[in-house]
Amino acid sequence: MGELEQAVLEALWDLDVSGRSGRSEGSDAPGASGREVHDRLAGRDLAYTTVMTVLDRLARKDLVVRQRDGRAFRYAPRLTRAAMTAELMHEALEGTRGDREQALVSFVGEASVEDLAALRRALDDLS
Amino acid sequence: MPTPVVLGALAVLLAGPLPWAFSRWPRLRRTPAAAMLLWQSTALAAVLAALGAGLALVTGRLRQGAAGPGDVVVAALAGAITVVVLGRLLLSGHRTGTSLRRMRRLHRERVDLVARLDGGVSVLDHDVPVAYCVPGMSGARIVVSRSTLTRLAPAELDAVLGHERSHLRARHDLVLEAFTVLHLAFPRWVASASARREVEVLVEVLADRAACRGGDRRALLSALVTLAGSPAPAGSLGSTGPALAARAEVLGDPRSHPWQAVAVAVLAAAILALPTLLVVLPWLNGLV
Repeated sequence: MGELEQAVLEALWDLDVSGRSGRSEGSDAPGASGREVHDRLAGRDLAYTTVMTVLDRLARKDLVVRQRDGRAFRYAPRLTRAAMTAELMHEALEGTRGDREQALVSFVGEASVEDLAALRRALDDLS
Repeated sequence: MPTPVVLGALAVLLAGPLPWAFSRWPRLRRTPAAAMLLWQSTALAAVLAALGAGLALVTGRLRQGAAGPGDVVVAALAGAITVVVLGRLLLSGHRTGTSLRRMRRLHRERVDLVARLDGGVSVLDHDVPVAYCVPGMSGARIVVSRSTLTRLAPAELDAVLGHERSHLRARHDLVLEAFTVLHLAFPRWVASASARREVEVLVEVLADRAACRGGDRRALLSALVTLAGSPAPAGSLGSTGPALAARAEVLGDPRSHPWQAVAVAVLAAAILALPTLLVVLPWLNGLV
Protein backbone atom coordinates (compact mmCIF):
# COMPACT_ATOMS: atom_id res chain seq x y z
CA MET A 1 0.00 0.00 0.00
CA GLY A 2 2.89 2.35 0.79
CA GLU A 3 4.12 2.08 -2.76
CA LEU A 4 0.69 3.09 -4.11
CA GLU A 5 0.51 6.04 -1.75
CA GLN A 6 3.92 7.14 -2.97
CA ALA A 7 2.82 6.94 -6.62
CA VAL A 8 -0.38 8.90 -5.98
CA LEU A 9 1.40 11.56 -3.95
CA GLU A 10 4.02 11.91 -6.65
CA ALA A 11 1.30 12.35 -9.25
CA LEU A 12 -0.18 15.09 -7.06
CA TRP A 13 3.21 16.77 -6.73
CA ASP A 14 3.66 16.72 -10.51
CA LEU A 15 0.15 18.08 -11.08
CA ASP A 16 0.70 20.68 -8.39
CA VAL A 17 3.78 22.02 -10.16
CA SER A 18 2.15 22.08 -13.60
CA GLY A 19 -1.00 23.58 -12.05
CA ARG A 20 1.00 26.40 -10.52
CA SER A 21 2.61 27.23 -13.83
CA GLY A 22 -0.89 27.83 -15.19
CA ARG A 23 -1.54 24.78 -17.32
CA SER A 24 -4.48 23.48 -15.29
CA GLU A 25 -7.45 22.61 -17.48
CA GLY A 26 -10.30 25.01 -16.86
CA SER A 27 -10.65 24.92 -13.09
CA ASP A 28 -9.39 27.80 -10.93
CA ALA A 29 -9.43 25.73 -7.74
CA PRO A 30 -6.06 24.51 -6.46
CA GLY A 31 -5.08 20.87 -6.56
CA ALA A 32 -6.27 18.10 -8.85
CA SER A 33 -9.45 16.06 -9.18
CA GLY A 34 -9.44 12.31 -8.65
CA ARG A 35 -9.93 11.93 -12.39
CA GLU A 36 -6.80 13.99 -13.17
CA VAL A 37 -4.73 11.91 -10.75
CA HIS A 38 -6.10 8.73 -12.28
CA ASP A 39 -5.22 9.96 -15.78
CA ARG A 40 -1.70 10.83 -14.71
CA LEU A 41 -1.25 7.27 -13.40
CA ALA A 42 -2.65 5.74 -16.61
CA GLY A 43 0.52 3.71 -17.17
CA ARG A 44 -0.03 1.79 -13.94
CA ASP A 45 -3.45 0.41 -14.93
CA LEU A 46 -5.15 1.29 -11.62
CA ALA A 47 -8.89 1.29 -11.06
CA TYR A 48 -10.36 4.78 -10.51
CA THR A 49 -11.80 3.66 -7.17
CA THR A 50 -8.36 2.50 -6.04
CA VAL A 51 -6.93 5.94 -6.73
CA MET A 52 -9.80 7.54 -4.81
CA THR A 53 -9.27 5.19 -1.85
CA VAL A 54 -5.59 6.06 -1.72
CA LEU A 55 -6.34 9.79 -2.01
CA ASP A 56 -8.78 9.57 0.88
CA ARG A 57 -6.28 7.70 2.98
CA LEU A 58 -3.61 10.32 2.28
CA ALA A 59 -6.12 13.00 3.25
CA ARG A 60 -6.88 11.16 6.50
CA LYS A 61 -3.15 11.07 7.25
CA ASP A 62 -3.08 14.82 6.68
CA LEU A 63 -0.59 14.48 3.86
CA VAL A 64 -3.10 15.68 1.32
CA VAL A 65 -5.62 18.52 1.64
CA ARG A 66 -9.12 17.82 0.33
CA GLN A 67 -11.38 20.63 -0.84
CA ARG A 68 -14.94 20.46 -2.11
CA ASP A 69 -15.33 21.70 -5.66
CA GLY A 70 -18.95 21.51 -6.79
CA ARG A 71 -20.03 17.87 -6.54
CA ALA A 72 -16.50 16.43 -6.42
CA PHE A 73 -13.35 16.98 -4.38
CA ARG A 74 -10.02 18.46 -5.35
CA TYR A 75 -6.83 17.17 -3.77
CA ALA A 76 -3.57 19.01 -3.17
CA PRO A 77 -0.42 17.93 -1.33
CA ARG A 78 -0.17 19.63 2.05
CA LEU A 79 3.54 20.21 1.50
CA THR A 80 5.80 20.18 -1.51
CA ARG A 81 8.30 17.36 -1.70
CA ALA A 82 11.11 19.67 -0.59
CA ALA A 83 9.07 20.99 2.33
CA MET A 84 8.21 17.48 3.51
CA THR A 85 11.90 16.52 3.33
CA ALA A 86 12.77 19.64 5.34
CA GLU A 87 10.11 18.73 7.90
CA LEU A 88 11.63 15.27 8.37
CA MET A 89 15.15 16.70 8.62
CA HIS A 90 13.92 19.13 11.24
CA GLU A 91 12.38 16.31 13.29
CA ALA A 92 15.57 14.27 13.04
CA LEU A 93 17.82 17.14 14.10
CA GLU A 94 15.43 18.44 16.74
CA GLY A 95 15.15 14.92 18.17
CA THR A 96 18.79 14.99 19.22
CA ARG A 97 18.13 17.77 21.69
CA GLY A 98 17.22 15.17 24.32
CA ASP A 99 15.48 15.74 27.65
CA ARG A 100 12.17 14.50 26.28
CA GLU A 101 11.36 11.12 24.83
CA GLN A 102 13.55 10.30 21.87
CA ALA A 103 11.66 8.97 18.91
CA LEU A 104 14.68 8.91 16.60
CA VAL A 105 18.20 7.85 17.41
CA SER A 106 20.79 9.99 15.64
CA PHE A 107 24.36 9.02 14.83
CA VAL A 108 25.60 12.30 16.20
CA GLY A 109 23.96 15.40 17.63
CA GLU A 110 25.32 18.91 17.60
CA ALA A 111 28.91 18.96 18.81
CA SER A 112 30.56 21.51 21.04
CA VAL A 113 34.05 22.81 20.32
CA GLU A 114 35.39 20.56 23.09
CA ASP A 115 33.65 17.53 21.59
CA LEU A 116 35.23 18.16 18.21
CA ALA A 117 38.64 18.65 19.79
CA ALA A 118 38.27 15.36 21.68
CA LEU A 119 37.29 13.56 18.47
CA ARG A 120 40.22 15.00 16.55
CA ARG A 121 42.61 14.06 19.36
CA ALA A 122 41.34 10.48 19.36
CA LEU A 123 41.74 10.36 15.59
CA ASP A 124 45.29 11.73 15.82
CA ASP A 125 46.19 9.18 18.49
CA LEU A 126 45.35 6.38 16.10
CA SER A 127 48.03 7.36 13.64
CA MET B 1 15.94 -4.01 61.75
CA PRO B 2 12.38 -4.11 60.42
CA THR B 3 12.12 -5.01 56.73
CA PRO B 4 10.27 -1.83 55.63
CA VAL B 5 13.00 0.39 57.04
CA VAL B 6 15.76 -1.63 55.39
CA LEU B 7 13.95 -1.67 52.06
CA GLY B 8 13.12 2.02 52.29
CA ALA B 9 16.74 2.92 53.00
CA LEU B 10 17.82 0.66 50.15
CA ALA B 11 15.35 2.33 47.77
CA VAL B 12 16.68 5.77 48.68
CA LEU B 13 20.26 4.60 48.24
CA LEU B 14 19.51 2.98 44.87
CA ALA B 15 17.54 5.93 43.58
CA GLY B 16 19.91 8.70 44.62
CA PRO B 17 23.49 8.37 45.88
CA LEU B 18 24.38 5.18 44.00
CA PRO B 19 23.42 6.34 40.48
CA TRP B 20 24.95 9.70 41.32
CA ALA B 21 28.24 7.94 42.11
CA PHE B 22 28.05 5.77 38.98
CA SER B 23 27.52 8.81 36.77
CA ARG B 24 30.70 10.35 38.21
CA TRP B 25 32.77 7.31 37.33
CA PRO B 26 33.66 7.71 33.65
CA ARG B 27 35.85 4.60 33.62
CA LEU B 28 32.60 2.65 33.84
CA ARG B 29 32.05 3.39 30.15
CA ARG B 30 35.10 1.36 29.17
CA THR B 31 33.00 -1.76 29.84
CA PRO B 32 29.78 -0.51 28.28
CA ALA B 33 27.87 -3.80 28.27
CA ALA B 34 28.51 -4.44 31.98
CA ALA B 35 27.83 -0.79 32.76
CA MET B 36 24.49 -1.04 30.97
CA LEU B 37 23.67 -4.08 33.08
CA LEU B 38 24.57 -2.12 36.21
CA TRP B 39 22.30 0.81 35.36
CA GLN B 40 19.41 -1.47 34.52
CA SER B 41 19.74 -3.58 37.64
CA THR B 42 20.08 -0.49 39.83
CA ALA B 43 16.94 1.07 38.38
CA LEU B 44 14.96 -2.15 38.65
CA ALA B 45 16.20 -2.78 42.20
CA ALA B 46 15.26 0.77 43.22
CA VAL B 47 11.69 0.31 41.96
CA LEU B 48 11.40 -3.13 43.58
CA ALA B 49 12.77 -1.86 46.89
CA ALA B 50 10.40 1.12 46.91
CA LEU B 51 7.37 -1.03 46.18
CA GLY B 52 8.59 -3.71 48.60
CA ALA B 53 9.03 -1.18 51.41
CA GLY B 54 5.43 -0.04 51.06
CA LEU B 55 4.04 -3.56 50.91
CA ALA B 56 6.13 -4.76 53.84
CA LEU B 57 4.89 -1.84 55.95
CA VAL B 58 1.27 -2.61 55.10
CA THR B 59 1.47 -6.34 55.83
CA GLY B 60 3.67 -5.80 58.89
CA ARG B 61 1.21 -3.42 60.54
CA LEU B 62 -1.90 -5.39 59.73
CA ARG B 63 -0.58 -8.85 60.55
CA GLN B 64 0.07 -8.08 64.21
CA GLY B 65 -2.79 -9.71 66.12
CA ALA B 66 -4.42 -6.51 67.41
CA ALA B 67 -3.92 -3.75 64.88
CA GLY B 68 -4.82 -0.48 66.54
CA PRO B 69 -6.22 2.56 64.67
CA GLY B 70 -2.70 3.97 64.47
CA ASP B 71 -1.49 0.84 62.66
CA VAL B 72 -4.39 1.02 60.24
CA VAL B 73 -3.62 4.66 59.42
CA VAL B 74 0.06 3.94 58.82
CA ALA B 75 -0.79 0.89 56.72
CA ALA B 76 -3.30 2.88 54.66
CA LEU B 77 -0.77 5.66 54.07
CA ALA B 78 1.97 3.23 53.05
CA GLY B 79 -0.45 1.39 50.78
CA ALA B 80 -1.56 4.66 49.16
CA ILE B 81 2.04 5.73 48.49
CA THR B 82 2.84 2.33 47.01
CA VAL B 83 -0.17 2.55 44.73
CA VAL B 84 0.83 6.07 43.66
CA VAL B 85 4.38 4.95 42.82
CA LEU B 86 3.12 1.98 40.80
CA GLY B 87 0.43 4.09 39.15
CA ARG B 88 2.86 6.80 38.08
CA LEU B 89 5.15 4.18 36.55
CA LEU B 90 2.34 2.49 34.64
CA LEU B 91 0.86 5.77 33.46
CA SER B 92 4.24 7.11 32.35
CA GLY B 93 4.98 3.82 30.59
CA HIS B 94 1.70 3.91 28.75
CA ARG B 95 2.01 7.57 27.74
CA THR B 96 5.63 7.31 26.65
CA GLY B 97 5.08 4.09 24.71
CA THR B 98 2.02 5.38 22.91
CA SER B 99 3.53 8.72 21.95
CA LEU B 100 6.87 7.24 20.85
CA ARG B 101 5.19 4.66 18.64
CA ARG B 102 2.93 7.30 17.14
CA MET B 103 5.78 9.74 16.40
CA ARG B 104 7.85 6.96 14.85
CA ARG B 105 4.99 5.70 12.70
CA LEU B 106 4.21 9.20 11.40
CA HIS B 107 7.87 9.85 10.70
CA ARG B 108 8.37 6.49 8.97
CA GLU B 109 5.33 6.95 6.75
CA ARG B 110 6.61 10.28 5.46
CA VAL B 111 10.16 8.96 5.02
CA ASP B 112 8.76 6.20 2.84
CA LEU B 113 6.91 8.78 0.75
CA VAL B 114 9.83 11.12 -0.01
CA ALA B 115 12.99 9.08 0.45
CA ARG B 116 14.77 7.14 -2.27
CA LEU B 117 15.78 3.60 -1.28
CA ASP B 118 19.44 2.76 -1.73
CA GLY B 119 20.60 -0.66 -0.55
CA GLY B 120 18.01 -0.82 2.25
CA VAL B 121 18.79 2.72 3.43
CA SER B 122 16.34 5.59 2.98
CA VAL B 123 18.00 8.63 1.44
CA LEU B 124 16.50 12.09 1.95
CA ASP B 125 17.32 14.68 -0.68
CA HIS B 126 18.90 17.34 1.55
CA ASP B 127 22.17 19.29 1.92
CA VAL B 128 22.54 18.89 5.68
CA PRO B 129 24.19 15.58 6.57
CA VAL B 130 22.24 13.38 8.97
CA ALA B 131 22.22 9.71 9.85
CA TYR B 132 19.63 8.27 12.18
CA CYS B 133 17.36 5.32 12.68
CA VAL B 134 13.64 5.05 13.25
CA PRO B 135 13.28 2.08 15.60
CA GLY B 136 10.26 -0.15 15.63
CA MET B 137 9.05 -3.73 15.91
CA SER B 138 8.19 -3.95 12.25
CA GLY B 139 9.48 -1.47 9.73
CA ALA B 140 12.55 0.03 11.35
CA ARG B 141 14.37 2.41 9.01
CA ILE B 142 17.88 3.73 8.66
CA VAL B 143 17.78 7.22 7.17
CA VAL B 144 20.62 9.33 5.80
CA SER B 145 20.61 12.47 3.69
CA ARG B 146 22.16 12.86 0.23
CA SER B 147 24.82 15.06 1.74
CA THR B 148 25.89 12.24 4.11
CA LEU B 149 26.46 9.99 1.10
CA THR B 150 28.57 12.57 -0.74
CA ARG B 151 30.66 13.66 2.26
CA LEU B 152 31.61 10.29 3.68
CA ALA B 153 34.11 7.86 2.19
CA PRO B 154 32.77 4.33 1.63
CA ALA B 155 34.46 2.93 4.75
CA GLU B 156 33.11 5.81 6.83
CA LEU B 157 29.60 5.26 5.54
CA ASP B 158 29.88 1.54 6.34
CA ALA B 159 30.87 2.42 9.90
CA VAL B 160 27.91 4.79 10.28
CA LEU B 161 25.48 2.23 8.91
CA GLY B 162 27.01 -0.46 11.13
CA HIS B 163 26.44 1.82 14.11
CA GLU B 164 22.78 2.37 13.21
CA ARG B 165 22.18 -1.33 12.48
CA SER B 166 23.58 -2.17 15.88
CA HIS B 167 21.05 0.21 17.50
CA LEU B 168 18.22 -1.53 15.70
CA ARG B 169 19.47 -5.07 16.23
CA ALA B 170 20.10 -4.64 19.96
CA ARG B 171 16.81 -2.73 20.42
CA HIS B 172 18.61 0.10 22.21
CA ASP B 173 15.41 2.08 21.83
CA LEU B 174 13.72 -0.17 24.41
CA VAL B 175 16.41 0.51 27.01
CA LEU B 176 16.19 4.25 26.35
CA GLU B 177 12.41 4.03 26.54
CA ALA B 178 12.52 2.30 29.93
CA PHE B 179 14.76 5.01 31.39
CA THR B 180 12.65 7.73 29.81
CA VAL B 181 9.60 6.18 31.49
CA LEU B 182 11.40 6.24 34.84
CA HIS B 183 12.54 9.81 34.36
CA LEU B 184 9.11 11.11 33.35
CA ALA B 185 7.46 9.21 36.22
CA PHE B 186 9.94 10.49 38.82
CA PRO B 187 11.58 13.59 37.38
CA ARG B 188 12.74 15.00 40.74
CA TRP B 189 14.39 13.88 43.97
CA VAL B 190 15.85 10.78 42.36
CA ALA B 191 18.78 10.53 39.97
CA SER B 192 16.55 9.55 37.05
CA ALA B 193 17.89 12.32 34.81
CA SER B 194 21.54 11.39 35.19
CA ALA B 195 20.65 7.70 34.81
CA ARG B 196 18.98 8.42 31.50
CA ARG B 197 21.79 10.65 30.28
CA GLU B 198 24.36 7.99 31.10
CA VAL B 199 22.35 5.23 29.42
CA GLU B 200 22.14 7.41 26.30
CA VAL B 201 25.93 7.64 26.25
CA LEU B 202 26.32 3.89 26.82
CA VAL B 203 23.95 3.07 23.98
CA GLU B 204 26.10 5.15 21.63
CA VAL B 205 29.32 3.63 22.95
CA LEU B 206 27.93 0.12 22.46
CA ALA B 207 26.85 0.91 18.90
CA ASP B 208 30.27 2.47 18.20
CA ARG B 209 31.99 -0.69 19.44
CA ALA B 210 29.74 -2.89 17.33
CA ALA B 211 30.46 -0.75 14.26
CA CYS B 212 34.22 -1.01 14.86
CA ARG B 213 34.13 -4.76 15.19
CA GLY B 214 33.42 -5.11 11.49
CA GLY B 215 35.30 -2.11 10.15
CA ASP B 216 37.99 0.11 11.56
CA ARG B 217 37.94 2.69 14.31
CA ARG B 218 39.54 5.31 12.16
CA ALA B 219 36.63 5.26 9.72
CA LEU B 220 34.08 5.64 12.52
CA LEU B 221 36.01 8.45 14.20
CA SER B 222 36.50 10.40 10.99
CA ALA B 223 32.81 9.91 10.16
CA LEU B 224 31.99 11.37 13.58
CA VAL B 225 34.28 14.33 12.92
CA THR B 226 32.74 14.94 9.50
CA LEU B 227 29.12 14.66 10.61
CA ALA B 228 29.57 16.46 13.93
CA GLY B 229 31.56 19.26 12.36
CA SER B 230 29.00 20.11 9.72
CA PRO B 231 26.98 23.24 10.30
CA ALA B 232 23.54 22.58 11.73
CA PRO B 233 20.62 24.64 10.45
CA ALA B 234 20.27 27.85 12.42
CA GLY B 235 18.25 27.71 15.60
CA SER B 236 17.47 24.03 15.42
CA LEU B 237 19.68 22.53 18.07
CA GLY B 238 20.87 22.77 21.61
CA SER B 239 23.90 21.07 23.03
CA THR B 240 23.92 17.32 23.51
CA GLY B 241 26.17 17.25 26.53
CA PRO B 242 29.12 15.01 27.21
CA ALA B 243 28.16 12.14 24.93
CA LEU B 244 30.53 12.90 22.06
CA ALA B 245 33.67 13.46 24.10
CA ALA B 246 32.91 10.26 26.01
CA ARG B 247 32.52 8.33 22.77
CA ALA B 248 35.82 9.69 21.51
CA GLU B 249 37.51 8.62 24.71
CA VAL B 250 36.16 5.05 24.58
CA LEU B 251 36.98 4.76 20.88
CA GLY B 252 40.53 5.85 21.63
CA ASP B 253 40.93 2.98 24.08
CA PRO B 254 40.15 -0.30 22.31
CA ARG B 255 41.62 -2.58 25.00
CA SER B 256 39.13 -4.82 26.71
CA HIS B 257 38.96 -4.64 30.48
CA PRO B 258 37.84 -8.12 31.48
CA TRP B 259 38.36 -7.69 35.23
CA GLN B 260 36.39 -4.49 35.37
CA ALA B 261 33.66 -6.09 33.24
CA VAL B 262 33.37 -9.07 35.60
CA ALA B 263 33.43 -6.88 38.72
CA VAL B 264 30.76 -4.54 37.36
CA ALA B 265 28.56 -7.44 36.25
CA VAL B 266 28.83 -9.06 39.69
CA LEU B 267 27.96 -5.74 41.30
CA ALA B 268 24.93 -5.47 39.03
CA ALA B 269 23.76 -8.96 40.00
CA ALA B 270 24.31 -8.25 43.71
CA ILE B 271 22.36 -5.00 43.55
CA LEU B 272 19.40 -6.74 41.97
CA ALA B 273 19.59 -9.72 44.34
CA LEU B 274 19.69 -7.58 47.48
CA PRO B 275 16.09 -6.29 47.65
CA THR B 276 14.78 -9.56 46.30
CA LEU B 277 16.45 -11.54 49.09
CA LEU B 278 15.38 -8.98 51.67
CA VAL B 279 11.75 -9.22 50.61
CA VAL B 280 11.39 -12.82 49.60
CA LEU B 281 13.36 -14.59 52.32
CA PRO B 282 11.64 -13.04 55.36
CA TRP B 283 8.32 -13.50 53.66
CA LEU B 284 9.04 -17.20 53.05
CA ASN B 285 10.25 -17.56 56.63
CA GLY B 286 7.06 -15.97 57.85
CA LEU B 287 5.02 -18.59 56.03
CA VAL B 288 6.64 -21.62 57.68
